[in-house]
Amino acid sequence: MEQSLSEFMAGNLRTFWEMTGFYNATWEHFVMLAVGMFFLWLAIKKNFEPMLLVPIGFGILIGNIPFASGMEVGIYEEGTVLNILYNGVSAGWYPPLVFLGIGAMTDFTALIANPKLMLVGAAAQFGIFGAYMVALALGFAPDQAGAIAIIGGADGPTAIFLSSKLAPNLMGAIAVSAYSYMALVPVIQPPLMRLFTTKKERLIKMKPARAVSQNEKIIFPIVGLLLTCFVVPTALPLLGMLFFGNLLRECGVTTRLAKTASNALTDIVTILLGMTVGASTQASEFLTIETIGIFFLGFMAFIIASSSGVLFVKLFNLVLPKDKKLNPLIGNAGVSAVPMSARISNNVGLEYDPSNYLLMHAMGPNVAGVIGSAVAAGVLLSFLG
Amino acid sequence: MKKNILLVVIALVACVASVSAQGRKGLCINEVMVHNDSSVIDDYGMRHAWVELYNSTHASMEISSVYLTNDKNNPTLYPVPLGDVNTEIPALQHVLFWADGEPNKGTFHMSFTIKPGETIYIFDADQQTILDQVTIPVDLAPNTTFARKEDGKGGVNAEAWEVRDGGEKYITPSSNNIIVDTNTKVESFRTLDSNGFVLTLMAMSIVFSALLILSICFYFISKVGGLVSRINKIRSHGGDPKTVTAEDAPAHDSGEEIAAIVMALHEHLNAHDQENTILTINKVKKAYSPWSSKIYGLRELPRR
Repeated sequence: MEQSLSEFMAGNLRTFWEMTGFYNATWEHFVMLAVGMFFLWLAIKKNFEPMLLVPIGFGILIGNIPFASGMEVGIYEEGTVLNILYNGVSAGWYPPLVFLGIGAMTDFTALIANPKLMLVGAAAQFGIFGAYMVALALGFAPDQAGAIAIIGGADGPTAIFLSSKLAPNLMGAIAVSAYSYMALVPVIQPPLMRLFTTKKERLIKMKPARAVSQNEKIIFPIVGLLLTCFVVPTALPLLGMLFFGNLLRECGVTTRLAKTASNALTDIVTILLGMTVGASTQASEFLTIETIGIFFLGFMAFIIASSSGVLFVKLFNLVLPKDKKLNPLIGNAGVSAVPMSARISNNVGLEYDPSNYLLMHAMGPNVAGVIGSAVAAGVLLSFLG
Repeated sequence: MKKNILLVVIALVACVASVSAQGRKGLCINEVMVHNDSSVIDDYGMRHAWVELYNSTHASMEISSVYLTNDKNNPTLYPVPLGDVNTEIPALQHVLFWADGEPNKGTFHMSFTIKPGETIYIFDADQQTILDQVTIPVDLAPNTTFARKEDGKGGVNAEAWEVRDGGEKYITPSSNNIIVDTNTKVESFRTLDSNGFVLTLMAMSIVFSALLILSICFYFISKVGGLVSRINKIRSHGGDPKTVTAEDAPAHDSGEEIAAIVMALHEHLNAHDQENTILTINKVKKAYSPWSSKIYGLRELPRR
C-alpha cells in the first residue's frame, strides 16, 4: 500500500513522540526528579556532603529521565553504558576501592595512641544490630533487615557492599538513605549528645595523645588486617583495601601511590559510585512502601548508633581512673562517617569549653568505627549471606 | 646485592608454589550412570552411560587437556580436547561426558564405555596426578546413579557417595545433587531468632572481640614502642639505657614545664642585658590549635 509523504512524516513523528520523556513520564518520575533536585539543593546551597550528594542527586536525575524500555540507555538494561558503570556497584567492587582511598587518607595515630578508643567504635555498632531488630519487627526478612541495618554503620561504601550481597533489590534505597543521613549527621547527633551527657561530662578534658612512632603506624595496618580478617574473613574486601591503603600512606616509600589512592582514585570512584547509585533509584524501583521503611530504619539506626556510642563512653568512664576519663562527646564519633562525626564532637565540645579540642580524640573512635562497621558487615554476611 | 637477589628468588618461588597449589584440584567426579534406559539423552537423541564432572571451586576452570579413563595403567585414554569453549566449567557448575566410546561425536563423548565395578579416573595434564576417582558399585542397577551426597564434597571417601534411584533421591545430570530452594541460614534465623536478639548478641560479641583483640595488641605494641623510644632518647643524650628504668626516663614535657625551666635558667644565669621590661608568661586561649588542624591529622603524608 502506498504511503503518502505526510503519513510517512506523521508516523515517524508519532514514533519519535512515543520515545520522548514527555510521553513516557509518570507522576513517579516527577517525584524522583524532585528528590534529585532536593539533593542538589542540599549539596550546593546548604553544603551538605556536596562530594556525595551532587553525584547522587544528579544521578537521580539521570536515572529518572522517562524513556521507553528497549532503547538500551537504562541502567538496568544489559550492556548499556550506565549498566557497565553500575557493575562496580552491583558486583560490589567500588566500595573496596573507596576503602583503599579512605585507608590512604586516614591517620590512625589517635587510635594507636589510645587503643581503648577502639571499644567506643565497637559499641557504636549496636546501632546496626538495634536497627536489625526493629527491621525484623517491621516484617523485613532477616537478610533484608541485615542489609538495611548496616545504614547504622554510617558508612556508605560498607552499606553498598553489604546490600549488594544480601538484598540487591533494596540497594538503591539503602545507599541513598545511608548517604542522606551521613549528610544529616550535624543535625541528628548534637541533640542526642546533649541529651545523654551532663554539663560536667562535656567539660572533661582528655590528655593529649602520646606521640606515635612511625614503626607503630606501619605495624598497625599489617596487624590490623591479620587480626580482624582472621576473625571475619568476609570483611576482607573492605578491610584488606582499607589497611592496604593505610600501609601505602604510612610506609613512607610509596608516597606517590598513597597520593593517587587518596586523591585521584578516590575522586574517580566517588564520582562513578555516587552517580550510578543515584541513577539506580528509578521510580519503579524506588517509590515503594519499603523505601519509606528503609528511611525510617536508617534514621533509627543512626539514633541508636550515636546514642550507644555516647552511653558506652559514660559506662566506660565508671571503670577508668579519674585522670584517664573520656569525654562522652567523642562517643558519637564511633559511628564512622569520617571525619564529620569527629568534627561534631569537637564543635559541641568547644561550645562548652572553647579550649577543649576533642577532634583528634574523636578521630580514634571515628576510625575505629570504620573498622567496626566493616567487621559488622562481615559478620552479617557470614550469618545471612 | 646477592642478598637482594636471594630475596627476590625466594619471593618468586613462593609465588610459583602458591599458583601450582591452586591447579585443578577442585575438579571431581560428581555423579555416574552406567545403564541408561530412561534418563537423559545426548545431542543425537541417544541414551548412553554418563559421567558428570563438577568444578567445586569458586572460579571457572578450563579442563581441556585433562584425561578421563577407566584404566589406571592407561591414563591418557580420553584427553579432553582443546579449543572448545564449553570445556570451561563455571564456578560450582557441571559438565556431562557420555561414556559411549564414540569420541568422533564431539568433545563430550569419551572414547570408552563403563561397566559396574570399574573405577573412573581424572588425570591432570601431567598424566600422573590423579585429580579424582570413583569405583562404581558392582550391583548398580539400571537407571540408577552413583552420586555424591553433596556436590564436590567428600573426596574419595566412599561414605560421601550414595545410590540414587530417581525416587526421593533425584537423579540430577548437569545439575546440583542437592537442590536448594531456600537460604537455609536466613530461614533458620527467621524461625529461631525472630526478634533478632541472638544475632545481635553474637554479632556484637564478635565485633567487640575483634576490636578488643586489636586494642590489646596495640596496647602492648605501644608499651614496647614507648620503651624503645625512651631508650633511644636516653641513648641520644649519652645515658646508659641498661641502668635506666622506665620511671627514670624523661617523660614528655609540657609546654608550660619547658617555659618554667627556661625562665628559671634565665634567672639563674642572670642573662639580662639593658632591658627593663618584665617578662611574664600568659596562657592565651586561641581558637586555633594544632588539634583542630586537618593538616596535622588527615592529609599530611609522611616522607622518609
